[in-house]
Amino acid sequence: MNAASTPVVLCCFHCGESVPESADFVIRYRQRSEPACCAGCQAVAQSIIDAGLDAYYEQRDRPADRAEPLPSALREQLRLYDDPQLQADFVADSGELKDAALMIEGITCAACIWLNERQIARLPGVSDVSINYTSHRARVRWDPAQTSLSAVLEAVAAIGYRALPYDRVRQEAAQTKARKSALFRLWVAGLSMMQVMMFAVPVYLAPTGEIEVRWLDLMNWASFVLTLPVVLYSSWPFYVSAWRDIRRGRAGMDLPVAVSVVLAFAASVYAMLTDHGEVYFDSVSMFVFLLLTGRYLESQARAKAGAALEQLAGLIPAFAHRLANYPRDRMTHEVAVTRLAVGDVLLVRPGETLPADARVTEGVSQVNEAMLTGESLPVEKRVGDVVTGGTINLASPLIVSVERVGQETRLAGIVRLLDRALAEKPRLAQLADRISGRFVAALLVVAAAAWWYWHLHDPLHALPIAVAVLVISCPCALSLATPAALTAATGALARRGVLISRGHALESLAQVTDVVFDKTGTLTLGRPVLRAVHPVAGMSKDEMLRLAAALEHHSEHPLAGAFAGFGGSMMAGDVVSHPGGGLTGTIAGRHFAIGHPDFAAGFTTSTRPEVPESSDGTLLALVGEDVWLGWLVLADALRPDAAAAVARLRQAGLRTHVLSGDSAGVVAHTAGELDIEHWQAGASPEDKLACIKALQTQGARVLMVGDGVNDAPVLAAANVSIAMGGGTDVAQSAGDAVLLENHLKRIPEAILFARRTRQIIRQNLAWALLYNLVALPFAVAGWVTPWLASAGMAASSLLVILNALRLTRLPRRY
Amino acid sequence: MENQATYNYKVVRQFAIMTVVWGIVGMLLGVFIASQLVWPELNLGQYFHFGRLRALHTSAVIFAFGGCGLIATSYYVVQRTCNVRLFSDGLAAFTFWGYQLVIVLCVITYPLGITFNKEYAEMEWPIKILLAIVWVAYAVVFFGTIAKRKVKHIYVANWFYGAFILAVALLHIVNSAFVPVSLWKSYSAYSGAVDAMVQWWYGHNAVGFFLTAGFLGMMYYFVPKQAGRPVYSYRLSVVHFWALIFTYMWAGPHHLHYTALPDWTQSLGMVFSLILLAPSWGGMINGIMTLSGAWHKLRTDPILKFLVTALSFYGMSTFEGPMMAIKTVNALSHYTDWTVGHVHSGALGWVAMITIGSIYYLIPRLFDREQMYSIKLIEAHFWIATLGIVLYISSMWIAGVTQGLMWRAVNPDGTLTYAFIDAVKATHPYYFIRFLGGCCFVAGMFLMFYNVLRTVFDGKPVNAPIPAVPAHA
Amino acid sequence: MESLYLLIPLSVLLVVVIALLFWNAIRGGQFDDLEGPAHRILQDDDRPDPHLPGNESDREKNN
Repeated sequence: MNAASTPVVLCCFHCGESVPESADFVIRYRQRSEPACCAGCQAVAQSIIDAGLDAYYEQRDRPADRAEPLPSALREQLRLYDDPQLQADFVADSGELKDAALMIEGITCAACIWLNERQIARLPGVSDVSINYTSHRARVRWDPAQTSLSAVLEAVAAIGYRALPYDRVRQEAAQTKARKSALFRLWVAGLSMMQVMMFAVPVYLAPTGEIEVRWLDLMNWASFVLTLPVVLYSSWPFYVSAWRDIRRGRAGMDLPVAVSVVLAFAASVYAMLTDHGEVYFDSVSMFVFLLLTGRYLESQARAKAGAALEQLAGLIPAFAHRLANYPRDRMTHEVAVTRLAVGDVLLVRPGETLPADARVTEGVSQVNEAMLTGESLPVEKRVGDVVTGGTINLASPLIVSVERVGQETRLAGIVRLLDRALAEKPRLAQLADRISGRFVAALLVVAAAAWWYWHLHDPLHALPIAVAVLVISCPCALSLATPAALTAATGALARRGVLISRGHALESLAQVTDVVFDKTGTLTLGRPVLRAVHPVAGMSKDEMLRLAAALEHHSEHPLAGAFAGFGGSMMAGDVVSHPGGGLTGTIAGRHFAIGHPDFAAGFTTSTRPEVPESSDGTLLALVGEDVWLGWLVLADALRPDAAAAVARLRQAGLRTHVLSGDSAGVVAHTAGELDIEHWQAGASPEDKLACIKALQTQGARVLMVGDGVNDAPVLAAANVSIAMGGGTDVAQSAGDAVLLENHLKRIPEAILFARRTRQIIRQNLAWALLYNLVALPFAVAGWVTPWLASAGMAASSLLVILNALRLTRLPRRY
Repeated sequence: MENQATYNYKVVRQFAIMTVVWGIVGMLLGVFIASQLVWPELNLGQYFHFGRLRALHTSAVIFAFGGCGLIATSYYVVQRTCNVRLFSDGLAAFTFWGYQLVIVLCVITYPLGITFNKEYAEMEWPIKILLAIVWVAYAVVFFGTIAKRKVKHIYVANWFYGAFILAVALLHIVNSAFVPVSLWKSYSAYSGAVDAMVQWWYGHNAVGFFLTAGFLGMMYYFVPKQAGRPVYSYRLSVVHFWALIFTYMWAGPHHLHYTALPDWTQSLGMVFSLILLAPSWGGMINGIMTLSGAWHKLRTDPILKFLVTALSFYGMSTFEGPMMAIKTVNALSHYTDWTVGHVHSGALGWVAMITIGSIYYLIPRLFDREQMYSIKLIEAHFWIATLGIVLYISSMWIAGVTQGLMWRAVNPDGTLTYAFIDAVKATHPYYFIRFLGGCCFVAGMFLMFYNVLRTVFDGKPVNAPIPAVPAHA
Repeated sequence: MESLYLLIPLSVLLVVVIALLFWNAIRGGQFDDLEGPAHRILQDDDRPDPHLPGNESDREKNN
């Protein structure tokens, strides 16, 4: 069940990663010794076990994230959260107790929730904690006299998770309230529909006159009582929005809905009181129920999309280390990022995220700008270079001077760009609503005309006929046609690992003519892989690799990951990292260096041999003190299913493009390998955006596939976008769809499936329109009995839903 | 001694053991009356006459066996999912002794011919009053426990149990309205068609809320627990609950097809019976799909076999039921043994199987054992029980259709082709097969009884400690 | 048939009661998390453990 079962390679008991042979970390678990991969995992596992929460290890169904040891600086930062001023944003003070909403990061399965809840509840003074399984959001209530918020945060950190204050509580409370009342409105309508149907069905079934009038009256009154809440409560949002439309002088979909609900209800009451005409209580409640169902489903899907900006804002850390008296002394003080000012001097330690746009004043380091540029290889930063907030410092400490803060930063700019791009989205999802809106507007006119006509000819039947027109032609099927198909298709795709996060994604996917790929992390794996080994000094390739792996074992540099798994029993000592250069170290008493060729040349006394020819990618040199051992070539590798996916797309008649920030050689190589016709290298986010716009002005409908924050505006500007699930969270939310398992072959599948969905939506719309157009003249002529009307309406809705349900099953050939 | 830091397992133990005991009693009675139908000589005197023992058999299996099973499991589930001890130990003990007294009184009075003459509600008025009191106490214990729960969310099984408890209270009280004439005789307060309607409103909803909702509560706890997998869709289980509650209430008139009830009321019953298929199957699929990813456990775990087979029979009989509610089908099936077969596919296949599975789950936990004394015996019990059900329902299905066809067959001149006795003769062999099926099922119960006794004697009664759990609002 | 005078108002009343019940459940947050509860009952470990009474951890699987 858990990861500690692979026989050959030793796996970390806590996180399941392979344990380096040099590591000697032991976890005591139930009278057994289990291996750990690092001190962080060991500490976390031991504190879980010591807290008596070891049942976690048998409950979980996947290993935990690798744990980092808790640095004292973090403790200091957490303590800052006890500042009442800072707490004002996310802590509610209810007299004795305090109440905070926290976001827990690192949760992978149900056991994590169990673990966190118990860990927090163990603290004295915590009276209440619950974590939502879906949103990973925790509510904690504690007594400030006994414990503090920082203690809670620290307790979570101690078991390897990260708790962050969730400062959108109020906004969320409003959303939750809206969702709850929408659900209750829907539920009231559904309940009323069931019961009113129960009184209506016998009337339809029984031959006229079989049911005595007094029973009919009784059932009508009961229906009236039950429909009243539907008209007064459930339909309320329709009235509100209809009234808003009227005041703005527009005719939206809700206006006719409101009119027909009120009119049908009024006419039914009139008919009930005067014993003249038909009652339509069942139709009213069913109409409202079906409309509300569609809206509820739609709003649920929309709520997911709203999280995008929130997550982008989360890239910026909450605290920074300020050097108040730099350069006189180097005493750091923790300070909230919101209080940073231009000119502040900050210390950014390796592994930390830069809190603002700044310029390096001291130190040399590697910075991972993948969050910003999407490109995986780190960029070297020296004194005078600009560093961007949200990027991660990798190698060594940097001292930076803040240049831009808050809304001025580049990240904030990207957020605004994304915001605007989202606002510019084509509103394809509202197509059906618009059609229904127009249809019902026409319907209103027809109903009014029918009323006028019959008023002149047969005044007694005028109102019932007008209502019959409205109810019989109620565009239930019409308004269900699109949401039903979209919901079914969304569910089917989700089971195949394609998560649709925007309502319009499926419709847009069906219309796509061009597919634009980002390169790094999308077409490629986004991490360097060893491409070639070229020994120079007669050493075997394996031996060279073992040496390199032993040296790189100690490095956190992204390139080092390429060597994992090649290590032998060899151990390197005295390993020193030279930022921007490479590593030096001692193995079996001899000194070695690995890194950039220039760096290596400076280390060794031997001369630099010729560079091997096939060297697309990053070239590393491995040297001894007096010998040049050889070359190692690292490069990003294509995803295994990239070629097949691109081929399928071409088969489906789509043009393919690559846009990348990488150099021309690399991009051309990738495009050639995959047989992609159009490519553009060295593209900045702005270039990518321009390229998409250019395609669109030529009439293309663009699907953008990418990951990384820099892609977010591009993803949003494309007609439709797919983000890699393995990419950053932000890109996930910015994409209209997310590939959960990064299988590119799902993209052509999704497009073909979207086309099928579009076909079914068209069938549905055609059927619904046809039904309404046929039913309308009959109703106007006054020929339709209520029995027939209801049956017709229900049948047409049912047909539409059943047709949509065909989408829940994906044919095998996709 | 017991204190607040443990769960009250004592009352669960008592009810669990009595479930097995009453199961054997009720099913032995069933086998006996089945043999009376095969060998009429077995109608030994008035006290052991078929007419009196049949009512005892139905009450014993539904209320004694099923009822004890439901109360045992509901007490267990409500404590474990609410993370709190029962609301009142004294009241819980009262429900046990009170409920057993009701059963024993029924066992005594029914053969004596003391009866209220309403199906599934034959007990006379003093027993009715006692049952009402016990049931109210049960409701107080159950809802009191929920009220003082430590977990904010009320698990869906408790919703089903709660609906079962409330509905049964309402049904029992409304249907029992009586006018007493002596200590052991009373008459229904309703008359004529109204009496019939009330009775079948009761009879139908007893099936809906006692034999369906209650046991679905059992299913929603014990199937996931035994399979070690979460419910396939918790969302669906909540929808299932509300949908079932709504539709069940109104399908009652299908029991009165082709009676004095107005035609439109019968049609209404038919329509709602057909609608009922949707929530029933939704629930069944939800239960069975819970095993997705754990199908392999079915091979080795006979308890899971019981639970899953129960769900299959639930699906089967909830399909058969609405079909039989269609008036044209009902014209053939009404008053034949097909109905008896249908009832038993529900009672043996669904109710008994899910109860047996749950009791096998509970016993080791209540008596501090790792597992039941013998897994092999459970396996044997499963197969012999399944064989018994198959024999039972297939024989009754054939017998029922034969009867229906023979009764309606007419000669060209309009006279009936067969005399009633012809149909009786034709069905005689099937009655024997039914008797064999019943014997199989009871034999399985004896295996269970032995297995339970061995487990109980190997173990010792425990009251599990209440685990410390984060305090929810 | 006079029972309809009782049954129909009763059904309306019942609907009102159920609606109130549901409203209470929504407001009480019963439907806030419709995935977690399914997992939570599995995390409640009800296997008997003769060795460590009171300690819900440290138990072996017994399937």
